[in-house]
Amino acid sequence: MFWRILWRLLYASRGRLALAVIAVASGAAVCAALLNLNLDATDKLTREFRVLGANVIISAAQDGDAAATIDAGTMQQIEQLRLPEIVAAAPYLYLSGEADAGANRTAVILAGTWLDEVARMNSWWKVEGNWVSARDSRSDCMIGEEAASRLGLIPGQNVKVVYAGREATLKVAGIVTAGSSEDSQIFIGLPLAQELAGLGERASLIQITARGSATEIEDVIRRLSSALPGVEVRPLRQLAQAEGRLLERIRGLLFGTVILILALSSLGVLAAMAGLALERRRDVGLMKAMGGPVRKIMRFFLAEAMAIGIAGGICGFIVGMALSEWIGERVFSVSITPRLIVLPATLALMVLVSLAGALPLRLLGRVRPSDILRGE
Amino acid sequence: MTAALVQAEDISKTFAGVRALDSVRFEVLSGEWIAIMGPSGSGKTTLINILGGLDRPTSGRAIVDGVNVGTLGERELTRYRAEKIGFVFQNFYLVPYLSAVENVMLAQYFHSVADEAEAAESLARVGLKGRLDHLPSQLSGGEQQRVALARALINHPKLILADEPTGNLDEANEQMVLELLQELHRSGHTILLVTHSPEIGRMADRRIELAHGRLMHIVANLT
Repeated sequence: MFWRILWRLLYASRGRLALAVIAVASGAAVCAALLNLNLDATDKLTREFRVLGANVIISAAQDGDAAATIDAGTMQQIEQLRLPEIVAAAPYLYLSGEADAGANRTAVILAGTWLDEVARMNSWWKVEGNWVSARDSRSDCMIGEEAASRLGLIPGQNVKVVYAGREATLKVAGIVTAGSSEDSQIFIGLPLAQELAGLGERASLIQITARGSATEIEDVIRRLSSALPGVEVRPLRQLAQAEGRLLERIRGLLFGTVILILALSSLGVLAAMAGLALERRRDVGLMKAMGGPVRKIMRFFLAEAMAIGIAGGICGFIVGMALSEWIGERVFSVSITPRLIVLPATLALMVLVSLAGALPLRLLGRVRPSDILRGE
Repeated sequence: MTAALVQAEDISKTFAGVRALDSVRFEVLSGEWIAIMGPSGSGKTTLINILGGLDRPTSGRAIVDGVNVGTLGERELTRYRAEKIGFVFQNFYLVPYLSAVENVMLAQYFHSVADEAEAAESLARVGLKGRLDHLPSQLSGGEQQRVALARALINHPKLILADEPTGNLDEANEQMVLELLQELHRSGHTILLVTHSPEIGRMADRRIELAHGRLMHIVANLT
């Protein structure tokens, strides 16, 4: 009988209830989209942040010698560890040399590295020309835009790099804009830099790009430290903290918006239910006169409110998943995967919103049957 | 000797300083049909509401089937209405979005368990066998009142309280409802019926006449 009456109630007020469902569904769509973004986008943004350059540095143990180098063979040890969190890693040998472009000659930092890894670790750099795909290229280099400007170089031209009386002429494959110190450096192949330095297979440091949460990266550092005694493994704190702050702000914005939307949805339901409560006043008075217990009568109306929440929640979830994909692509430039866990969360929130919005119906419990029967 | 089902002991009721009932005292025996008469504002509906547990007396006692209605708590009053009272109103008061049979089943549901077959049978007894699934808006006034009668009787109440049940009906439908009430009376139901009509009043066993909240006369009808 309960379900039969509930169905009749829903059917009889379908117009007004449809408005309430639309209010709930609108709120549910935004909430589901934001919850999905919170779950999926922040995870993907974390990964995106991780590939914004290196976040772990391996260098010689600090013993007061700033020019101390490490064995480039350390890279092989890192590769043998096969840590899945490591996205890219490259040894760097920094030389304070000179560059000569014919008309211009200037002091410059020569960064000898694996040129193919530079592209993987710094995919967000703006490049005019091309990346160098050969790891140990002895013919091509990349040059920072500030250095290129000082030397008057454009892609395709040659530059002579000089260090400790040794020199090499390289073709500029691309000019990079990183917005940091890399803009004044010239990137050359590591073997060439080692030859110029006459150091053998040595490197100043190893840069690593690892993905995962802050805890996961801490774990990577711990495992690298124990596997590589005699070197110092440390995180790039500045980036991790900035990234954490940004994610916190995004998360705060999402939750703030969800709460605001929930409140607005409640008001929408409240408006629809207020009208319904007036219509139902007579019925409730009559039911009470017939000996209907308040709990039994209110159960109809609360079930009605829950039905609104569930219907609105399901509709909103479907729209919300599409919305989150759209927002993910347009705003965060990441593809969003719908998470099913968002469905029960959305339904629970929307049922709560509907019950909160159904406050006028709950007040019907106070209706005195004699007042209704007197026509008041 | 038949026991008194209803004992009104000096019932008074005041609304915002206005005395709607003033020390009304009478008894109704089980199986009696009582007509409550009087001009508008004389306190007829207030008396019915107090006996039906919809209002509480300001003073005095309303005892129905041994229960002092005025002392019951809200939950007990609800139970009292479900188990002991069958209401029939002038305006029918059917739930508009429930069909005829569902309106009757609703009373069953509040009392105990809804039984569609029993509800349908009670509607058949009032001549509505072919109207079970009709909504109140699809029924005539007389048909709606017969649904209300079926609803009032479905839980086998001790007392039927009818407040001008024919007030909104045409002559033919009035006759049909009165015949049903007479049948109920013959089958031993106790009926308190509010009416303005002297003709209907004369159908009852006794007439209680009220004026300005006071009991003026109790008149036994000669059969």
